[in-house]
Amino acid sequence: MWWRPKFCLLLSLYLGPVLATELFEEGLNLRPLRDGKVAAHFSFTTLLKGATLRDPQSLASDDDSQHYTLFPLALGQILREYAVTELHLTLNAGSWDYNRWGYPDEPGVGTGAELWAWIGDGATISVDQRWQGLRNALAGLFCASLGSLDEQRTTSPVLTFTPEGNLPNWTASHQLRHATLPSEHVCTENLTPFLKLLPCKSLSGIASLLNPHRLFDADWHGLGVHVRYLQDEGVEVRLAFQAVLDPVRYSPARRRDWSLRSLFDRVISTACPVAHSSVIRVDLSLVNSYSITPTPTAVHDNHAVYPVVPIEQPLDIAMDWPAETTFQYPLVSASPLTPLSIQRTLKGWGQSDGQLSLVITNHLPVPLQTGYLETMPWLLQFYLHTLHAQIDGTTRDDLVKVITYAAPVPHAQPALLQAVLTLPPRSTLRLTMDVAKPFLRYTEHPPDAQRGWDLPPAVFVPFSLDSMGTDDVLRARPTRIYTPALLVDLATPDFSMPYNVIIMSCTLIALMFGSIFNLLTRKFAVVHVGDAPQ
Amino acid sequence: MEQTAPVSPPILFESKTVRRYILASYWVVIILALPLWWTTTSIERQSLPTSDVLSRQSKELVFPVHVDIDAGNSKLDSTVLARGVQSYLDGNSDVQRSQLQIYVSTLHSTPGAYQVSLQSAVQDSTAEERQLMFSAHLDGEIQTTTDLAMGLADALATLLAPYTTLRTAHSDRAVTFAPRYRLAFTLLNEDAASENAVLSWDVANSLSKHLSPVLDRLSVLHNFTVESQVQYHAPLAFEPHTLYKGAAVEYGLTQEDLTVFVNSAEWTLSSSVSSDPVLHFVLFVPSSRHSPLRILGTDGIPATSSSFILPQWGGIVLFNPPTINVTRHLPTAALDSVFVTFRHQLTSLLGVPALPAQVHVETRAATSAGITDWQLDALLRRRAIENVGGAQETLQSIVRLVAQIENMPVGQDVKGDVQDALTALDEVYAAVPFSLEVALKHAGRALTLASRAFFNPGMLALLYFPAEHKYAVYTPLFASIAAPLVVAVLREVIAERKAAAENRHTRLKAE
Repeated sequence: MWWRPKFCLLLSLYLGPVLATELFEEGLNLRPLRDGKVAAHFSFTTLLKGATLRDPQSLASDDDSQHYTLFPLALGQILREYAVTELHLTLNAGSWDYNRWGYPDEPGVGTGAELWAWIGDGATISVDQRWQGLRNALAGLFCASLGSLDEQRTTSPVLTFTPEGNLPNWTASHQLRHATLPSEHVCTENLTPFLKLLPCKSLSGIASLLNPHRLFDADWHGLGVHVRYLQDEGVEVRLAFQAVLDPVRYSPARRRDWSLRSLFDRVISTACPVAHSSVIRVDLSLVNSYSITPTPTAVHDNHAVYPVVPIEQPLDIAMDWPAETTFQYPLVSASPLTPLSIQRTLKGWGQSDGQLSLVITNHLPVPLQTGYLETMPWLLQFYLHTLHAQIDGTTRDDLVKVITYAAPVPHAQPALLQAVLTLPPRSTLRLTMDVAKPFLRYTEHPPDAQRGWDLPPAVFVPFSLDSMGTDDVLRARPTRIYTPALLVDLATPDFSMPYNVIIMSCTLIALMFGSIFNLLTRKFAVVHVGDAPQ
Repeated sequence: MEQTAPVSPPILFESKTVRRYILASYWVVIILALPLWWTTTSIERQSLPTSDVLSRQSKELVFPVHVDIDAGNSKLDSTVLARGVQSYLDGNSDVQRSQLQIYVSTLHSTPGAYQVSLQSAVQDSTAEERQLMFSAHLDGEIQTTTDLAMGLADALATLLAPYTTLRTAHSDRAVTFAPRYRLAFTLLNEDAASENAVLSWDVANSLSKHLSPVLDRLSVLHNFTVESQVQYHAPLAFEPHTLYKGAAVEYGLTQEDLTVFVNSAEWTLSSSVSSDPVLHFVLFVPSSRHSPLRILGTDGIPATSSSFILPQWGGIVLFNPPTINVTRHLPTAALDSVFVTFRHQLTSLLGVPALPAQVHVETRAATSAGITDWQLDALLRRRAIENVGGAQETLQSIVRLVAQIENMPVGQDVKGDVQDALTALDEVYAAVPFSLEVALKHAGRALTLASRAFFNPGMLALLYFPAEHKYAVYTPLFASIAAPLVVAVLREVIAERKAAAENRHTRLKAE
């Protein structure tokens, strides 16, 4: 028992009949990785028990009053204002290395900003208007450029982004809106409003470890906000922060020993008084011959468990490898931690066309199927008939099954490609497709036009071919795999062009006008200069 | 070498007349094209009803108010009393300044009139709905008609015109008018990890018990959105003063501290989802390190009050939890005094006037939520005056600005808004004698329309594309085309003159 029984009793006694009971749980998962890094996953879950969602049909009338104790009011206002059923926002920096780090604890690790929401239809205000309002409100709340997740980036890939919770059974159906902005960077200005949504801010409990100086120095870091509706439970908000920290880099002796103080430069000195549970778990499955202090309260399933109870002395978990003098980097490429390895590159030269190339390797001894999703802004246009698959040099187009393709509309709408790939056991599939690079309007270029455009990552959802597959992880949780983002170099004009064009064309017109005018109005006469000298 | 060229037969278009036709047609095309060029490059400037706006500059709302006096069973002559009250009221400077036209009579004929009845049996004056039971006693004695008229006139002036600079020192405390307010109630713990934190409160019941009647009563003026939250870590931005009171230690906030009390950087109070103005009501629980926390008077001695108002922002109540019987939850009973304070803060922030000192509110009237019609009408009149004044001022600013900046585009939407605002203003003046609520509704609409016209983004367009810019673009084309055209005309004129002179010369020679 790590929570305070007294508080729970009081909360449940008093809040029962009037308010929906609210439950706050916080947790930190630390996972020492094989390459000496430590993956940290903070999660702060608030459950609004017995809460109901706002029916979109009631949007025209005034909403009920909102009274919260633990649930973040700023987020609750947004959810009710736009009647959003499910919401996922992630802001990440860096690309997640699946081969070395395995699956992340939160599946949403695509580079940059990603926002997707399930929104109920049937209101007087259309889903698209509410989607626009939602992203503007979230942009204001999290100080991120989510406002640019406009129609040019919004798609509805229902096969890949299935709801994580339940969708209430309203008369009108639900619709998915999904958009990514890979060029968005996450930094302190996003973390500060994130921390303000937590009941204990970053002042007590596990959240006190969220030190921006260390988190934004990490090799990979990202934050996420996940709202879902659970039919029998209520509305759940999960605020998550993930980081991959590198203790070897911090250590002068190049050792992989770590402690909370060395990773975050902080220790937990007070527990969050309103947390129903507050647990730190250290995943020990990937490492051996270590020693860990203090002694864990329990070890479950290869996880050392530390409840954060009201403590007399600050809690600092430390792990070290006494046998090692310096950390030797292992060769991890031999045994990737995920069943799939994916490379995605943009080939070709020139500013008019190129080729998108994917190399997908199945490491399992069983055949595997995977969903493949591209949500590509019209900055890159696919020639779908050139989509070909190869294994060891032989064409195997039968392995690719395109399910939906929505062509892009230049200056308006992105392309959506959903396909299913079949991967034979222990094989590498090469997928190529020709692409065209369009010509942008003068005003469509960003301020740093020469840098190029970030293209959103492709998403893969592997699932086992036969239901009796051997891989338990795969069957238990079909999770998403994001490829790294791409950068495309589009033709950029000389930005002093308009004035040059004006001056140039004015000169030409004046020249032509002058000659024609002179031809018409002047008098031409033959002048005899005299006879040739004899 | 010197040999005049033989005159070759002229080609058709090289004849003088054809050349002049060509030249003339060029100029005709240019002159015909000018209006087209003018219309395509000029900015849309709809004419605004300027004279209509300016004629309203000195126009003021005047509210007719009828007061009926009933002397009741006292032996006084009510006609004499009414005349006396009327003359005192007419001489009162507050009444003159507050745009009221008061008619005092003894008849009970006018509908919607305020009723005043003299009570000789009671000591205290009470107000209820539109009635005033005025006590004819002063210090236990029945007053003379003159004294009574003066006293009654004074009370009526305070009831009918409560917003004068002398009477309300905190007139800037009230928020500016908005059709909808967000009321945000926050239970704010300085540090929930300390001993005396309050983790939850029974806010919904307290709100319905103490505030709902007031909000219903004020719904003729505003709509309200109510919300509440609990914050567990809200550090102060400054260190309170330490006071030693014998063995006990207390902490105090000076008047200067109160002005910087709200730590907006670290307290999550603002709401982002709508643009309605927010009124904050904060129940602040100091940490055990700063407990008990008191407000210090100007003399440095702790004041009895534990609450204060931040003008136009909201109200704050300090809550020092009891040191014994520590409770982590505040039930409705414990919140009663807090929410009574919140209710006072809310009414004073919304500008509800206080009753005169000698008049009490009739507590039996449960429907009125402690706000009499006297107060509500005064508030309605004040808001109507404010909104009409604001709307007229905004309209004048638009007209002045448009006249001042000649490049400012004025679209059809701006013109429409201005005209609609003027119509709404006319409706206000028309509605005033009949219904204050209708007048206020139109006044609010007039203000909204006028502000919308004033902040119309279309009026900014030309600021980013000045006329000089346009000329810079046109010059390379027009200058180079204009030069040969002008030169050709000049040359023709000179040739014509020369020919005329030569003509005259030959004619002279011939003679």
